[in-house]
Amino acid sequence: MKAFSVIASAALLAVVFVGCGARKPATGARGGAGRQWVIGMSQCNLGEPWRVQMNADIAAAAKPHPEIKVIYKDAQNQSTTQQAQVREFMDQGVNLIIISPKEAKPLTEPVRRAYQSGIPVIVLDRKVQGEDYACFIGADNTKIGRAAGQFLVKALNGRGNIVELQGLMTSTPGQERHKGFLEGIKGSNLKIIFSADCKWLEPDAQREMNSALARFPQATAIDAVYAHNDPSAHGAYIAAKLEGKGREKTIGFVGIDALPHEGVRYVREGILTATFQYPTGGKEGIETALRILKGEKAPKNITLGTRIFTKDNVAQGGAVIE
Amino acid sequence: MSARPQNESHHPAPEAKRDAPRSIWRVIVSLVGQYRGVLALILVFVIGVILSPVNPETGHRVFLALRTQQNILFEYAEYGILAAGMTLVILTAGIDLSVGSVLGLSATLVAIFLIRFGWPAAVAIPLCLLAGAAIGSASGALVSRFRVQPFVATLVMMVAGRGAAKLVSGGVKVQPGLAGYARTTDPPLFDVMTRPLFGHFLEPITLLFLATILTLWVVARYTRFGRYLYAIGGNEEAARLSGIRVGQAKVATYAICGLCAALAGICNASRQTLGDPEAGFTYELDAIAAVVIGGTSLMGGQGGMLLTLLGTLILGYIGKFLSLMGAAEAHRLLAKGLIIVIAVLIQRRRE
Repeated sequence: MKAFSVIASAALLAVVFVGCGARKPATGARGGAGRQWVIGMSQCNLGEPWRVQMNADIAAAAKPHPEIKVIYKDAQNQSTTQQAQVREFMDQGVNLIIISPKEAKPLTEPVRRAYQSGIPVIVLDRKVQGEDYACFIGADNTKIGRAAGQFLVKALNGRGNIVELQGLMTSTPGQERHKGFLEGIKGSNLKIIFSADCKWLEPDAQREMNSALARFPQATAIDAVYAHNDPSAHGAYIAAKLEGKGREKTIGFVGIDALPHEGVRYVREGILTATFQYPTGGKEGIETALRILKGEKAPKNITLGTRIFTKDNVAQGGAVIE
Repeated sequence: MSARPQNESHHPAPEAKRDAPRSIWRVIVSLVGQYRGVLALILVFVIGVILSPVNPETGHRVFLALRTQQNILFEYAEYGILAAGMTLVILTAGIDLSVGSVLGLSATLVAIFLIRFGWPAAVAIPLCLLAGAAIGSASGALVSRFRVQPFVATLVMMVAGRGAAKLVSGGVKVQPGLAGYARTTDPPLFDVMTRPLFGHFLEPITLLFLATILTLWVVARYTRFGRYLYAIGGNEEAARLSGIRVGQAKVATYAICGLCAALAGICNASRQTLGDPEAGFTYELDAIAAVVIGGTSLMGGQGGMLLTLLGTLILGYIGKFLSLMGAAEAHRLLAKGLIIVIAVLIQRRRE
């Protein structure tokens, strides 16, 4: 162990001396003509496949533009970490921030402070409160929820028992997909007999579906599951399958996201009855960022479109919802 | 008894000359061993400076900026407060796994008191601190009176505390504007806690962190109670035989730890501006890591509050420069694990 402390001391001294030498004032060395804009991107978590896709979409859109560089930070689903990341971007002097907040309230003040300090902020998918940001990009979650409700009304002939597996209800997509769904089933005899906040996560959804199946064990007790995203719908399907009574074949599963390798595949394989596309907005985020950085005007709100994928139209790439 | 001549005055000169180069090396090694905490902190700080991005406007390294240093204290204040209380428990050779859950429960409670019921902060804060101390006392009683192992006793409290937090929250994050709530705007406490006192620096949360470390340092070092803790951790049976009320001391220690956790919960609610029943999840691991990295022994009887401050700052610096670099979460976790292993290995060498 003496050798260890010898090595440790030597390494320490080496680093200190190297550190002193390397601490040069950083000017210039910006490599090449023209300035490069730095965009800070804070993603609330990378545990959801949809968010991994969002980052991939951002990277793909930024690649043909060497004049921008994107720094990615993963907030690990902690609001306080995401607050710290916004602070860091401000201190690092980034030219623009793209953020997909975990939830609205804790991130409203940091976004406001960054925006008012002169750094444009583009908010993706989940809203913050107020109007202190440059642009919000997201699909219309209320419309998607409504479309899902109307789809199930038609599929079940106006009557049936629904299990609703919600996304994080302190985030705006969760709230809006729930509200929209209620609007969509209004006036019909569809009833929500069980609902739980699964926070967009598949393991949580599987757990909650197990509870639902246990609460309503009769073969015809549950007609359909409305999950706020495809991983949750898939988790519910797995739960029904593991139950062993064959209910995964009789219950209809509806999800949202429609990533090509996930939700759309599930529809093609017969796991999901339908899924609704929720575009990530990554591409539009970079396009808007470039407009803002070049000094052009950008809209305050960009609403993305959506499509429905069912077994009938999946081969044609789904059907657009007006 | 012996009539042997004293040999202190006998210094063989040629031998001393031969020893000289080896003894300088030994001096350095022993200095490193003695001050390894501070040296580790300096090392991590220097690494942070080297790896720091540069602000293109000012040309300065972001890590060196006073703002960044301030942010580190602010962002790691909760871990630090937890670690301070945890140090006392670890000094008695115990452990408290419930601090994360107590933080979550306290954050939820303070939000419920302030937002749902509309009570003033002067009522809400003491109630939360009391709740934390009560849960700590329960852990302490399980450990001392009922001879339950600290790991098990506080594990029970961890699970029960998290359940209690989710229960009282009603399944939502407690924030203004929900149906039936007294307040539709943030309670003033949240702004007070997070607003810097001097220009850009020293938010009350940061000051609470430093005050907690300072207060518990005085308690551990300069009070009889503190000495009892070291004695209990060093040799509990001997402490008991020498008249120390071991049971009472343990209950008090866990109560203080619970109170610190409740204080951290109030800080968390103020930062998030809502009461999150899931707040503090896995924070107990970071608190223990900070204590261990600082150099306090998990076996008890050795260590102290200033070491824990070092450990918290080391974790803070590493976390901050990895975050500034945009390092993936995997790297941050690996780095944290590596630091803990190195810290423990260096400790073992000392014992």
